[in-house]
Amino acid sequence: MDFSLLTEPLASKSYEKIADICDNLLLQAAAEGVAYQDQWPYAIHLLGHIYADDINSARFLWKSIPSAIKESQPELVAAWKIGQKLWTRDYGAVYEAIHGFDWSQEIQGLVAAFSELYTKRMFQLLLSAYSTISIQDTALFLGMNEDDATNYVLRRGWVVDPASRMLTVKKQTIVTEQKLDATKLQRLTEYVFHLEH
Amino acid sequence: MGSLEALAAQIQGLSSSAGDISRLHVILKQAEDSLRSESTRLSPILNQLDPSIHSLGYVYILEACTSIPISKEQAATLVPYIARFISFCVPEQVRLAPDKFVSVCKRFKEQVVLLEAPIRGVAPMLAAVQKLQSSSEHLTSLHPEFLLLCLLAKCYKTGLSILEDDIFEVDQPRDFFLYCYYGGMICIGQKRFRKALELLHNAVTAPMSNINAIAIEAYKKYIMVSLIHHGQFSTNLPKYTSSAAQRHLKNFCQPYIDLANSYSTGKIAELEAYIQTNREHFENDNNLGLVKQVVSSMYKRNIQRLTQTYLTLSLQDIANTVQLNSPKEAEMHVLQMIQDGEIFATINQKDGMVRFLEDPEQYKTCEMIEHIDSSIQRIMALSRKLTAIDEQISCDPLYLAKAGRERQRFDFDDFDTVPQKFNI
Repeated sequence: MDFSLLTEPLASKSYEKIADICDNLLLQAAAEGVAYQDQWPYAIHLLGHIYADDINSARFLWKSIPSAIKESQPELVAAWKIGQKLWTRDYGAVYEAIHGFDWSQEIQGLVAAFSELYTKRMFQLLLSAYSTISIQDTALFLGMNEDDATNYVLRRGWVVDPASRMLTVKKQTIVTEQKLDATKLQRLTEYVFHLEH
Repeated sequence: MGSLEALAAQIQGLSSSAGDISRLHVILKQAEDSLRSESTRLSPILNQLDPSIHSLGYVYILEACTSIPISKEQAATLVPYIARFISFCVPEQVRLAPDKFVSVCKRFKEQVVLLEAPIRGVAPMLAAVQKLQSSSEHLTSLHPEFLLLCLLAKCYKTGLSILEDDIFEVDQPRDFFLYCYYGGMICIGQKRFRKALELLHNAVTAPMSNINAIAIEAYKKYIMVSLIHHGQFSTNLPKYTSSAAQRHLKNFCQPYIDLANSYSTGKIAELEAYIQTNREHFENDNNLGLVKQVVSSMYKRNIQRLTQTYLTLSLQDIANTVQLNSPKEAEMHVLQMIQDGEIFATINQKDGMVRFLEDPEQYKTCEMIEHIDSSIQRIMALSRKLTAIDEQISCDPLYLAKAGRERQRFDFDDFDTVPQKFNI
């Protein structure tokens, strides 16, 4: 089996492409009738789906793996543990699952990248969902100890009240470029023409 | 055996130009019966042919090979042949014999299922669909076979890819019903409930002279997805639903309608009790998983209802109203709903309060304009298609005969040059 298509995205850290590449390769191998299951990089495939935030596909992939393979590959089981915690929305336990295994060299980069991405996603969630939140919970959601978590959010404009151990959330206003061009006028003309006829 | 050799030679000789292929097609049609009678001895011929050049001949021979029932061992050898054929065959040639191609692919599906390896069929069946369809708007008999393989192999994401196309042409009504039903199931698996609802709705409201089993199963799932996605369900079917469906669907789906009624009370305990008493029924329909999703959606629905009455509410009050065990549980539910975009709110841990907000979307951004633009383009394309169909029907002899017959004689308008009766 030819895994060369995987080496480039793994090397260049374009992890968002891994899931699609793995899906296609797996279907091709299955179509050719090759016995691919023993050599298949299921852990990378699973983590690819997790990185792309497609927990549904990760679940279905896990269900389709033969149990003999699940029993013989502890790294795969550890990778699924991350997916499981994401599925049950056990936000803090995701970090435990990430740090609770000694990942092989191939997978380390992918897991580390996911961990960073997940922290960013959680921070965005906290921004949109909370007006005030305890330092303890913030540390849980961001997977850091309380001091690191406090510094992380302070750097991003939040305010801390040391007495009550509470943080006040401050959203940073993001201004996106709102540009309209001539094609919009063309489209409006088309619409009016269509409505007139 | 001599005639088979001769046929193989003809296939090899007449596969290069369009004119040759038409002649070959005639020869193959005449040879159909003899091919069928020799079906057990055809495999050596296949080895002499190249699927990428002799696609038409290959498909006739494959169809004869697969017209007889075969054992699991024979399937194991035949499946790779068919998979290779599908990936290498020439679309123009196989479209000349569509029913033969469809027949080969359907036998292929049966064989991979027999071998208990549906995943082997997913990629070839997708290729088959793309080669058979005359455009992305054309629904072939292979679409539902592909979706079924995706369901069996748990390749839901791959199945989604063909569900994005808008369908305007359908080969057989049964294909359409199955496409909508299986498509709905794939969307449910990927939690794309809005799209699932659309597909199941089409299966339920499609024209049918008699009620069919696919529409009934689709309606059962439609009821549950409606509860999960909209939090409500109404038994009113749209006007364009067939009278067969309007009259009979409800009779076959009574337990599910009762489920919806129980859901509308907003009381989780009642709903769970109802499900417990009818558990076996749902299990037999293979709908138990979906039923569980209906139950968990009720918490969300009850929290959403609170936003209509309150601007702020304490986590403790939410827990009490929605029957959760603690304010922390309530906080987690609200957080998950915010993450999924099902509610707009902010949690204030200091005071233990939740403030409900309006949808912040102002519909003023460039992205929103793009979104609206693409919807308008799509509707304009649909409108043009409808106009074209309308023109076609106005020229249709059957329509004109009926319209002509129904007009009154000697209308005021009849003293025009418009003819009033057509003799066809």
